[in-house]
Amino acid sequence: MSVNDGPLIVQSDKTLLLEVDHEKAGECRKAIAPFAELERAPEHVHTYRVTPLALWNARAAGHDAEQVVDALISFSRYPVPHALLVDVAETMARYGRLRLEKDPVHGLVLTSTDRAVLEEVLRSRKIQPMLGERLGPDSVIVHPSDRGNVKQALLKLGWPAEDLAGYVDGERHPIDLLQDGWALRPYQQEAADAFWNGGSGVVVLPCGAGKTIVGAAAMAHARATTLILVTNTVSAHQWKTELIKRTSLTEDEIGEYSGSKKEIRPVTIATYQVMTTRRKGVYSHLELFDARDWGLIVYDEVHLLPAPIFRMTADLQARRRIGLTATLVREDGREGDVFSLIGPKRYDAPWKEMENQGWIAPADCVEVRVTLTDEERLAYAMAESEERYRFCATTPSKTYVTEALVRRHLGEQVLVIGQYIDQLDELGEHLNAPVIKGDTRIKERERLFQAFRDKELQVLVVSKVANFSIDLPEASVAIQVSGTFGSRQEEAQRLGRVLRPKSDGGGARFYTIVSRDTVDQEFAAHRQRFLAEQGYAYQIVDADDVLGGV
Amino acid sequence: MASMEFTEWIRGRTDAQLRALVSARPELITPVPAHLEGLAGRAASPSAVARALDRLDRFTLAVVETLAVRETPASKEELRALVGAALAEGGPEPALSSALDRLRDLALVYGPDDALDLGPGVRKVLDDPAGLGPRAVEAFRHHPPEQLDEMADDVAPGTEGPGKERLAAALSEPGPLVAEVSAEARGALDQLAWGPPTGRVPNARREVRVASARSPIEELLARGLLAATGEESVTLPREVGLYLRGGRVHRDLRATPPPLEGAGRDRALAGRTAAGQAFTFVRAVEELCERWSVDPPGVLRTGGLGVRDLKRAAGELDVPEWVAALVIEVAHAAGLVAAGGGVDGEWLPTQGYDLWRVRSTAERWVALAAAWLHTDRVPGLVGERDDRDRPLNALHADLRRASAPGVRTATLGVLAAAPGLAPSRESVLARLEWEQPRRRGPLREQLTEFALREAEQLGVTGLGAMSAHGRALLEGGDAAAALAPLLPEPVDHVLLQADLTAVAPGPLTSELNRWMALSADVESKGGATVYRFSETSVRRALDAGHGAEELLGVLARHSATPVPQTLSYLVTDVARRHGRIRVGTASAYVRCDDPALLDQITADRRAATLRLRRLAPTVLASRSSRAALVDSLRAMGYAPVAESLDGDVLISQLDSRRTEGAAPVRGTSTANGLDPEVAAAAVRALRAGDAAHLARREPVDAPDGRLPRGPATATISALQDAIRQGVRVWIGYLDSQGNATSRILEPARMEGGYLTAYDETRAAVHRFALHRITGVAGL
Repeated sequence: MSVNDGPLIVQSDKTLLLEVDHEKAGECRKAIAPFAELERAPEHVHTYRVTPLALWNARAAGHDAEQVVDALISFSRYPVPHALLVDVAETMARYGRLRLEKDPVHGLVLTSTDRAVLEEVLRSRKIQPMLGERLGPDSVIVHPSDRGNVKQALLKLGWPAEDLAGYVDGERHPIDLLQDGWALRPYQQEAADAFWNGGSGVVVLPCGAGKTIVGAAAMAHARATTLILVTNTVSAHQWKTELIKRTSLTEDEIGEYSGSKKEIRPVTIATYQVMTTRRKGVYSHLELFDARDWGLIVYDEVHLLPAPIFRMTADLQARRRIGLTATLVREDGREGDVFSLIGPKRYDAPWKEMENQGWIAPADCVEVRVTLTDEERLAYAMAESEERYRFCATTPSKTYVTEALVRRHLGEQVLVIGQYIDQLDELGEHLNAPVIKGDTRIKERERLFQAFRDKELQVLVVSKVANFSIDLPEASVAIQVSGTFGSRQEEAQRLGRVLRPKSDGGGARFYTIVSRDTVDQEFAAHRQRFLAEQGYAYQIVDADDVLGGV
Repeated sequence: MASMEFTEWIRGRTDAQLRALVSARPELITPVPAHLEGLAGRAASPSAVARALDRLDRFTLAVVETLAVRETPASKEELRALVGAALAEGGPEPALSSALDRLRDLALVYGPDDALDLGPGVRKVLDDPAGLGPRAVEAFRHHPPEQLDEMADDVAPGTEGPGKERLAAALSEPGPLVAEVSAEARGALDQLAWGPPTGRVPNARREVRVASARSPIEELLARGLLAATGEESVTLPREVGLYLRGGRVHRDLRATPPPLEGAGRDRALAGRTAAGQAFTFVRAVEELCERWSVDPPGVLRTGGLGVRDLKRAAGELDVPEWVAALVIEVAHAAGLVAAGGGVDGEWLPTQGYDLWRVRSTAERWVALAAAWLHTDRVPGLVGERDDRDRPLNALHADLRRASAPGVRTATLGVLAAAPGLAPSRESVLARLEWEQPRRRGPLREQLTEFALREAEQLGVTGLGAMSAHGRALLEGGDAAAALAPLLPEPVDHVLLQADLTAVAPGPLTSELNRWMALSADVESKGGATVYRFSETSVRRALDAGHGAEELLGVLARHSATPVPQTLSYLVTDVARRHGRIRVGTASAYVRCDDPALLDQITADRRAATLRLRRLAPTVLASRSSRAALVDSLRAMGYAPVAESLDGDVLISQLDSRRTEGAAPVRGTSTANGLDPEVAAAAVRALRAGDAAHLARREPVDAPDGRLPRGPATATISALQDAIRQGVRVWIGYLDSQGNATSRILEPARMEGGYLTAYDETRAAVHRFALHRITGVAGL
């Protein structure tokens, strides 16, 4: 017998390379998806990584080491490194040795099937203060308020606890999906079901794939009072509109808890900002979490969850939690906290696959490189290092290129996105388009968005306030002139602006204008990596080609 | 001392039997004895006997022990009964007959079936055979006669004669004595019954009588059922032991090895897994050597590799430290890395590594695996502590254990005997215990465990079961041929992707591999290799002298898919900027606002020695020093002034001057003064030596069997002739210790009483003192 003809190559660094054009690729993807994180999905070979988190996710979902090993061996083209197989088995065996359970007498207890592990854990100085009395050789009381902290700390020690302590049901409240004229897409259904069956967790879907609806479906599962945490006020409004449209909830049942309004209703939408506002060093709105007996907490854009909310979430472990995001990439690397506090990843789908199925619009990504003039280059070379990015990101050449691009896409809905207000104002002037920035009033913002939606406005210039959760269904062209340095998730979010399926089924364009040979170009390369890894191939063109009208 | 009988028996063996003997006990013929008597003598020597016994399995050893306990020759019938009684299950045949055949082959047992006896020396080597103590006569040899008399009076009242004999006679039938003692004393006896036969009691030599015995031990001592062998030690006399054992020499003896237990494995799958691991291991060794060749770790003062360097290697190879130690040790054992270079020494890849690297993966693996199998170094000990509590370092001399290769072979042998089975560690240890009971001990257990886990790492075993190539390695078959089909085949294409990565779905052909290594960085290794192109990596390819078009051409040719636009843009973009700024070395410059004047200088023929180069219309660069340039230009009739580094005009000073260039490095070729004649001789001799090497390798004897002697003048003229004609000569030479040696030389030159010549026998150029040359002969 010679080497297998499988689609999978297992690397010794625990990455799995899947050849997507292989006939067994689909089957293989299904087999490895439970225990491997999709890391990159460019056009030919997708890279998955077997991480401890992913293996524990698989254990949590009921897979065992034998299944994992079997999947690896049967799809692998080459022999699988033995060390990796051993490691898989050992890592998976670590999950569930410790369990958080509900004891009828003592409340929350940590029990163990392996006394040595419990002893090791008990000796950890981090964990000791969270634990109470030792009940026997294999169990110890956990302070209920430390349920999240214990899980977080145990994960760090490499002995993730299986949380079997269950959830409180919360206050009942009828919520149903009203599927009139629309239907839950299959993947949305799967995502909501996967979440519900898992108890708590994160659903990863591309921008434009309808994460709000997954949230609504989760609420319909829970049929209980729900607290929804979103990034900003505009997005809160959109959640509200969407929920009224898609569910049996009425306007009176949905409250907004933001800087301006403080309504607490059976379904309450709060912004991260208001939750993290401190007065005299104290979080003054913490009581919202206890204001009602919430049955479900929805975290929108989990990858942006600020650190204080993590800390608050640690206290909410008895409530069901669902996280929604387009990417688990966190610029601060706190993916482990998302795992232990919100929950394991319950569902994800590669962007390109969604596109192929027509759920999101196909997009062309183009990087336009402008060349600084000689004087600009000199000025750039002399600029202070902290000023450099601003300088090259706001070069006037970009304005001309933007104009040319807008001209080229005359008749289409165009969004111009940037970081620096001066630059945006200038662009607004040149393009004769309104500018939405941080100090634009909410009312005015919504008026402009509506006009844009109604195609009364064709071009809109927006600052980073529009990065998230603003539903602009018919934007088909986005032009990015500057960004927050090398932020990968920002790039993904911005592309998401144009990915909603178009009524004409047409594709979308995403332009990034970059100054050649400057830090702008370096940051752009870093920003693009996430999308390139999701299969979005950037094409690079020179500004002259754009200006020349080619 | 071998008995005459034994010698005659040896002499009576057939040639085939003797061949079997010496091949089974090769130490008997190193060096070859002069005659069969010598052979017999050597076969009876304690060390030779011990080595032969070490090779016996549990059952065969039990046969030897049974004979040893008997003291006198025994017939096969008697032996069969004794062995049969000891067996836990089944009958003694056919195992007994084949064991006896084996023992005769080994000359450990000799004589006909009705009078089998142990070879001389065997009894002496076996102390406490089968866990039985010495016979009573031996055990009580050092007791004072008076005490023995008293004891004999107690145990055998009414008998006459020396106490020792009476006591021995009484103990030969110890039943009544044993029956007399208390239950506690009986318990103590039972503890010693199945060996070891010795125990510790305080004040063992106390004098006790049966009547006055107060403790169980005293009861036994008084009756001679225990014999004191030291101040605090006692032993059970053999007769008593045998009585307690009910006449059996062994208990629960097995005629067949214990069965192996463990998980069954699909043999093909095990083979594939092993092959995958083999591939990984070869790559790990290669990566280690590549890293060490650019950044070698230092050799510790005590020898070996520092702990930090080991940690670093483990990190770089992404393996646990013990695996890194294994990789390093195997590379060393295979002669791929060695200490060298630097003032304090560094661990560097050897030339052997370069030869190894170009071979096929399967052959490379065989080289590594064979080195591992046979090395007496134990990589598993790295990180543990020695007797003086110092940590044992990788590559340190203290890692040697003479028994390591034997244990490794034996362990793999056990695995090879059970194809498709991944035996448990305990079951392997139990099998080894049966196969070589005399070699047991904590070290063997440790070495066995090391062997098992290392075999898995090397890919000798897969999923714990022996692979086909592993078996071939062990049994001297063609392991490379068995392994090769299981290894990934080299591929000649990569998959280029828009995120600037390239995936090689298998090991690359060497040309493509070189290109990829040059123009992209490796991101992940394994069955496939993932590369990433970056500005830096593309620039590296351009720096190596390749053009953008060339690079893109190669990539397009070897890509299964079209080259992504991003990649070609990257390459052309880097190429666009590559080399726009040029950096060079010059030691002085000439600048002049009038380009015409510089034209004139460059055109001047006298300026040729200044090696001027026009950098710009108004600037010349020179490799001469500033001072020399100024002087030369003045000599040519110009009026230059010197400039400081800041561009100020320097006032010329007439006093001391200093060089401004770096001191030239002395050329090594001239410094060594390699004479052209010697060089020519060396080349000719290399050609001749090549031929001679193929023909014979032994030192050359004088043509007539003696060292040639001739008058000094004849020697010199003969050598001069040889130098002139460029032919080889044979000389007799007294070396610095005064030993007469002979050499084959290619003389190059003669001066100052010395002959410089290429010494073919040593393959080097040497100088020979003429007065020590005893003679010359043509060849």
